[in-house]
Amino acid sequence: MSDLPMSDLKAVLPHPTNVSKPFWDACNRGKLLLPHCEACDRLFYYPRVACPHCGSDRLGWHRSAGTGTVFTFSHVQLSFFGKAWETQLPYTVVLVDLDEGVRFLSRLIGDDRDRVTIGAPVACAFRTVEGQSLPFFRLVG
Amino acid sequence: MPTVGNDVVIVGIGETPVGALPGMRPVQIQATAVLAALKDAGLTLRDLDGVINLDPYLEPNSMFATTLAEYLGVRASFLSTVDVGGTVTSMTMVQQAVWAIQSGHCRIAAVAYGENNKTGRPSGVQGMMMQNLLGGEEWEEPFGMQGLVIPYALLAQRYLHQYDAAPEDFGAVAVTTRRHALRNDNAQMKKPITLDDYLASRAISSPLRLLDCSLVSDGGGAMILMSRDDARKIGVRGVGIKSFAMRSTHNTVAQLPDIEQLGMAAAGRDAFTAAGLGVDDIDLAQIHDAFTISVAIALEAFGFCGAGETGAYYRSGAADLGGKCPVNTHGGLLSQAHIGGMLHFTEAVRQLRGEAGARQVEGARHALVSGNGGIFSVCGAMILEGEGRR
Repeated sequence: MSDLPMSDLKAVLPHPTNVSKPFWDACNRGKLLLPHCEACDRLFYYPRVACPHCGSDRLGWHRSAGTGTVFTFSHVQLSFFGKAWETQLPYTVVLVDLDEGVRFLSRLIGDDRDRVTIGAPVACAFRTVEGQSLPFFRLVG
Repeated sequence: MPTVGNDVVIVGIGETPVGALPGMRPVQIQATAVLAALKDAGLTLRDLDGVINLDPYLEPNSMFATTLAEYLGVRASFLSTVDVGGTVTSMTMVQQAVWAIQSGHCRIAAVAYGENNKTGRPSGVQGMMMQNLLGGEEWEEPFGMQGLVIPYALLAQRYLHQYDAAPEDFGAVAVTTRRHALRNDNAQMKKPITLDDYLASRAISSPLRLLDCSLVSDGGGAMILMSRDDARKIGVRGVGIKSFAMRSTHNTVAQLPDIEQLGMAAAGRDAFTAAGLGVDDIDLAQIHDAFTISVAIALEAFGFCGAGETGAYYRSGAADLGGKCPVNTHGGLLSQAHIGGMLHFTEAVRQLRGEAGARQVEGARHALVSGNGGIFSVCGAMILEGEGRR
């Protein structure tokens, strides 16, 4: 599967909330942040107002290494965003199990993504679309 | 254990034609289904004092139970619009009707859903490009995730890997379900399919093919509930609700747990325990089949077969009419129509009354209606009991 030139990569951009803004701002600095609960010392994703594990609102951020393995993936053959997205097909949606123990939905990029298998090692690869850097992933190793 | 109460019964079922209903809007479709269900029960609109519904997905409407009540000329003493998710919404509507009747808020309640998902959809829009949001957009759309096909594709891919299953296993579900639909006059699909047709159907989002996916449908379904005593007084046969349980684990696919952690097993365990029944007591399983994988996950969670064995279970004929436990005898969302699971209920009631004609499950006494909303985000199981033969 050949990959699109970066200029053609489409994404529906997020509308950050007060809670998620640090996450998206960090992406623009090339950092993948995960919410960290200071009460139970666990990580989670996505950012929210309380820890989904213990309910505490004493929250901070942890910089993720951005590495993990593929939990599952799908090569999307049909546009669900209307005609404009047909240029993207096929593209690959992936659920990554980050090494820190958090599951992360993303898009797999790279010419070699048709070789993806469950369990394959992946790493975060930021790409900027219309001024927002997004945490995509690519196969490694 | 989550009991519902066996003193309220389903006394009427109604379906509109399914497929394309041009010129109908959601309120007309729901009203038509309610009228059919009242007629089935030998009742009229004058008898109705409870209205419970789901508003259309394609065009979310506020106060839709009140809209439907006005349209029907019903001055209701109990109204509710419910959106828990998928078939769990239908189950929750039934549960609310039972509770409203038990607690004296109304005597006769209608539960209804229907809309124009087929003809009301802008042309060129695929899948559930809905105006209502599912809540995870910020964590999904930047990565190309939209609608519900891709989430189920992710789940199906994981299933194939984890259980060493094959696309042919999903195909067995599609082929059998189509065979069931051919015995149902009110079904969109009229032609049989073979496993080869399944395998040749076009790729949508790997590993899902077109024939893994449910239909896009206009249509509606409704049921009427009243107390068992009132039903007996007017000589109407009722179908009782033995138990109902639900479980949520997440909503968006970004939060998808491992398959074995999904809520269906827990919901099923609670529903079976509360009913005092086991899977071997179930004569008919009406399983939400938005995708072929949906059936596999549910049947395996309940223990109809082992993990990864749904394909073999279907190939053995267990899910066929005359098999150990026929599944989706009406043709399901895959081959009859996708009316949010309401027609899983109307079929269960029809079967438990012994009125299913050419597709009647002999001696059907207990039916399991099960389903999920989202991506197995909320799972539910409801066990219905007929009065048996007269």
